[in-house]
Amino acid sequence: MIEVKEVSLRYRDGTLALNNINLTVGDNELVYITGPSGSGKTSLLKLIIGMEYPTSGTVKVMGQEISEEKSDELRSLRKKIGPVFQELKLVPGRSAMENVMMGIRFLDFSGQEIRRNAADALEKVGLSHKADSMVENLSWGEAQRVSIARAIARKPRLILADEPTGNLDHDNAVNILNILASFKQKDTSVIIATHATHLIENQKNVTIVRMNQGSISVEKRGGKE
Amino acid sequence: MKNFISNLGYFFKEAGRIIFSNKLSNIFTFSGTVLILLMLASVVAGWNVSSRLVGMLEEEAEISAFFDEDLDQKEALELAEKLSKLDGVRNARVVDESEAYERMKEILADDAGILELFEHNPFKAYIEIRIDPGRTESIIETVRGFKEIGYVRDNKSVLKSINDIIRGIKTIGTLIIFAVGITTVIIISHMIRQGIYNNRDQIKTLRLLGASPMFIGFPFICVGLFMTVAAGILTSLVMLILINKGYQIMGGSIPFIPLPPKADLLLGVTLVIMGVSIILGTIGSLFGLSSIKDQ
Ligand SMILES: Nc1ncnc2c1ncn2[C@@H]1O[C@H](COP(=O)(O)OP(=O)(O)OP(=O)(O)O)[C@@H](O)[C@H]1O
Ligand SMILES: [Mg+2]
Repeated sequence: MIEVKEVSLRYRDGTLALNNINLTVGDNELVYITGPSGSGKTSLLKLIIGMEYPTSGTVKVMGQEISEEKSDELRSLRKKIGPVFQELKLVPGRSAMENVMMGIRFLDFSGQEIRRNAADALEKVGLSHKADSMVENLSWGEAQRVSIARAIARKPRLILADEPTGNLDHDNAVNILNILASFKQKDTSVIIATHATHLIENQKNVTIVRMNQGSISVEKRGGKE
Repeated sequence: MKNFISNLGYFFKEAGRIIFSNKLSNIFTFSGTVLILLMLASVVAGWNVSSRLVGMLEEEAEISAFFDEDLDQKEALELAEKLSKLDGVRNARVVDESEAYERMKEILADDAGILELFEHNPFKAYIEIRIDPGRTESIIETVRGFKEIGYVRDNKSVLKSINDIIRGIKTIGTLIIFAVGITTVIIISHMIRQGIYNNRDQIKTLRLLGASPMFIGFPFICVGLFMTVAAGILTSLVMLILINKGYQIMGGSIPFIPLPPKADLLLGVTLVIMGVSIILGTIGSLFGLSSIKDQ
């Protein structure tokens, strides 16, 4: 699913966010990326969705190399990804429902499916009752769940969630992590960057990526979930 | 995009949002477009009227070729036939002595009595050649080359001024049409760029989600089209009123210039304005859309 080879990322201001990292993610994998603030979690996710390009090394996602020149390929790759951004990136002035629908209108769904997928996704994150609320009137935790709904409504092959539980209470956080984790399937992988290490301590059959100052160490945990 | 139709509602809603999110600026754009289209509409109306004048003037462009007196009538007709086949000649016909006499009588009108003083008809037969006024020089040259032709009477100065008038009208019209086209395209594309800039966050997000430029850009094309078409409709309505007033005041004709039937003129102006609005709106939007790539 993902192959990161000897990748470094240096931002234009000189910050070295990722330092020669290697990471392979298979087709049916649940990956947690943890590490202190500023360690490079978001930077790694940005490389995978093509928001940044590696300064050196290669990033391949579903067989497609991420590079600036291949904008058409990048676009069709992005269609298969369900991203949850750390800063949410919801579109203000629209309802929760319209935000979720906007994220899937250009995918291969019929008009009916668009509406149904969006409604189902909102229900999954427990926000059916807020479907018609403007997103700027939602609490941060609610808004966060809208952005998760937008990601899962896409029925993606890869979920990239950056700090999806940051503003949720314990129960909601567990619930959201379970929902995201449930998308791990035969050919679907889920990558979650999170500070909530206490929630994943006892999880089995997952990959834990620990980041520190741009370097990573990978632990593949086996066992029954 | 297989769900294009089911997204139409979304596209129109987004377009409306883009228009209303920047009301003041877009009101200026709209008024500016209406004013420019009004200018175009006046040119089109003026062109319509003056093309009749031009047609009339072109019809009037003629030279007279006097031929050897020993040509008999049949030979004269053959010569006219030959002349009428020349490039740039509309037609050529023989005006015989008696017709020439009648014409002069008409021209002299009240003073025609003077013709009575002649015992014989003093006028000679000639060939009247109607020509394309743009090619006066070369046609006269060719006609002079015929050995049967003795003398060519041209109205070079008249022909030249006819030609100048025609050229002037065409040049000014063309210039104005270009100016209108370019200005409208710039105004509309600027408006679209503004809209894209104002919505840059949304556009960035949609791109990250894998939306095509077509999906992102279509609402903006709708905005451009909607603005120009609405401006076109308003312009057509204003012209409808103006033309109606104009015909009332002039009672259907200006001296020497036959006005076209009012319905023809209105239809012509409306068709041109609406067609031009749609075309310019599309071009302007597409130009403006190119800035999506920068976001
Ligand atoms: N656009 C940028 N330009 C310059 N430096 C950047 C940029 N984005 C991130 N950085 C820097 O790169 C490093 C890694 O940042 P990143 O956002 O990947 O961390 P993170 O692990 O996601 O942190 P957090 O847990 O706070 O979200 C940080 O030092 C940060 O300041
Ligand atoms: Mg981060």
